[in-house]
Amino acid sequence: MGYIGKELGRTISRSPLTAIVSLLSLALLLLLFDLFWVTARTSHKAYDSLITTLKMEIYLSEEVPDSTIDQMHQSLVDMQAVRLVEYFSKDRARMELTELAGVDLLVGYDTLNPLPRSFLLSLEPDHVTSNALTGLEEQLRMTAQYTEIIYDNEWLKEAESSKSYILKVGLVLGSLILLTALFNTANSIRLMARARATGIHQMLLLGASRTFVSLPFILEGLLLSGLSAILSWLAVLYAKKHVSLPQIEIILPSFQEIALFCLAVALLGAVSGFLGVRKLLRY
Amino acid sequence: MAIVELNNIHLKTDRGTPLFTNLNFCLSEKKSAVIVGPAGAGKTSLVELLVGLRFPDSGSVEVLGTAVKRGQFGKILKVRKNIGGVGGPFGLMDSLTVAENVAMPLVIAGEPKRIFRGTVDRTLSELSLLPVSGDYPRSLTRVERTLTQLARSVVTHQPLVIIDEPAAGLDQATSERVFAFLKAITLSGRSLIIVASEKFQTELPGADYYRFSHGALKAL
Repeated sequence: MGYIGKELGRTISRSPLTAIVSLLSLALLLLLFDLFWVTARTSHKAYDSLITTLKMEIYLSEEVPDSTIDQMHQSLVDMQAVRLVEYFSKDRARMELTELAGVDLLVGYDTLNPLPRSFLLSLEPDHVTSNALTGLEEQLRMTAQYTEIIYDNEWLKEAESSKSYILKVGLVLGSLILLTALFNTANSIRLMARARATGIHQMLLLGASRTFVSLPFILEGLLLSGLSAILSWLAVLYAKKHVSLPQIEIILPSFQEIALFCLAVALLGAVSGFLGVRKLLRY
Repeated sequence: MAIVELNNIHLKTDRGTPLFTNLNFCLSEKKSAVIVGPAGAGKTSLVELLVGLRFPDSGSVEVLGTAVKRGQFGKILKVRKNIGGVGGPFGLMDSLTVAENVAMPLVIAGEPKRIFRGTVDRTLSELSLLPVSGDYPRSLTRVERTLTQLARSVVTHQPLVIIDEPAAGLDQATSERVFAFLKAITLSGRSLIIVASEKFQTELPGADYYRFSHGALKAL
C-alpha cells in the first residue's frame, strides 16, 4: 500500500497542472450531468403540481335521495386515488353558475332547479395517469347513481406523451454525458499509463502481478472521478445558495442520492482506470 | 536438478529468418554459464525466452522447474520473481529513485519496508551506490545504472541471475568491481547466466562456457 500511495503522490507531484486540469474537466462534465439531474427533478415536481390541478366531476342521478349523499361522499373519500371530495348541491351549483355568468340564469326555476348535484374529486398525484383515471371512471360508472363523469383525459394524455418524450431524450442525454465522463477518465489514465509504460513493463519483468501494477491506476481513476463528482455537487449547492429563482422551486436530489451518485461515479472511474492500463499489462 | 532447461528450441526472428535451430541448453542448480556470440546471434532473444518475453516456435523452455509457455502469465510472473536481471530487456524505472528501484523486488514480494530497508542499504553499500540512493535513473551515469540493476538483481537472493552484456559501457576499474561481485554471486550458490560478446574473457569459478554456432549452443 505504501508503494501505491507513493506512486499516486508522484503522479500528482510530477505534473500537478495535468492533474488539476483532468479534475476540473471531469468536474465540469459531471456538473453538466448534475444540472441535468436537478432540472429533471424540478420539472418533474412542476409536472406533478400541474397534473394535480386536474379534477374529476361526477354528476348524480336525479333518483339518488339526499339521505345517501353522506354515504356516497364517504365511499369516494375512501378510494385510494382520491385526495379530496367536494359536494355540490343543486343550490351550490346554482350559486356557482350565477358567479360564472354574472347573472342568475335560473330565475323562475326556484322550485325546480334543473342543475344536477355533483362531486368534485381532487386526485392523488401518483394516480393522475390516463390509465388510472380510466380505471377509476369505469369503476364509478358501474354504479347507476352517477349519470356523467367528466375530466380532461385528452389533456392528460398529451401531458403524459410530452413527459415520456422528454424522459427518453433526457435518458439519452444523461447517458451520453456519463459516457463522455467515463471516456474522459479512461483517456486521461491511458495517457498517464502510456507515459509510464517502460516502468510498467519493468515491474512485470520483475514478477509484479497485474493487480499490483494496475492498482495505482485504478485508485487514480477512483479518486479523480470521486473528487470530480463531489466538486461538481459542491458547485451546484453553492449555486443553489447564491442564485435565487423566485418563480421556480429548485428540487435537489437527496443527500443519500448524491452520495450514491458520487460513489457510483468513483467506481466507474476505477473501472476506467483499469481499462486505461489494461493494454499495457500484456508484457 | 536443472534450473534452466531448453529443449529443441526453434525460433525465427520477426522477419522470419531462423535464429535458433534445435538449440539445447541445460544449467544445473548452483552452476553458472557464460554464453558468448557475435551481434545478432540471439543472445538477448535467449534471455527473452527465459523470462517469457518471447516464446519458441517449437521446443520447450523450463526455468526453475516451471514451463515457460505462452498463455500461462501467472506461472511466468512466478518465474520472473525468482530471476534477477541486468541489461537486455531489464531496465530501471525512471519514476523511482535508485533505492526504490533496488527495493522493488522486495516490494513485489510483499516484504514490509522496516524489514527490507536494511537489506537495500547493505546491497547499495556493497556496490558503492549509497551516495546516489536518492537520485533518479535519468541523472545517473551508465556505470551507476548498471550497478543499480546489479544491486536489484541480487536483493531478494534470486536463485537465478541473468546478465546481458555485463561489461557494456563500463571502464576497466568498474568492470573489475562488477566481475568481483559476479564471482561472489556464483560462490554464494546462486546460478548465473551471462550472455556477452566474444570479447568476454573473464574467468568465473565453476562456470560452463558456450558459444552460439549456427543457431545452437556449442560447449567450449
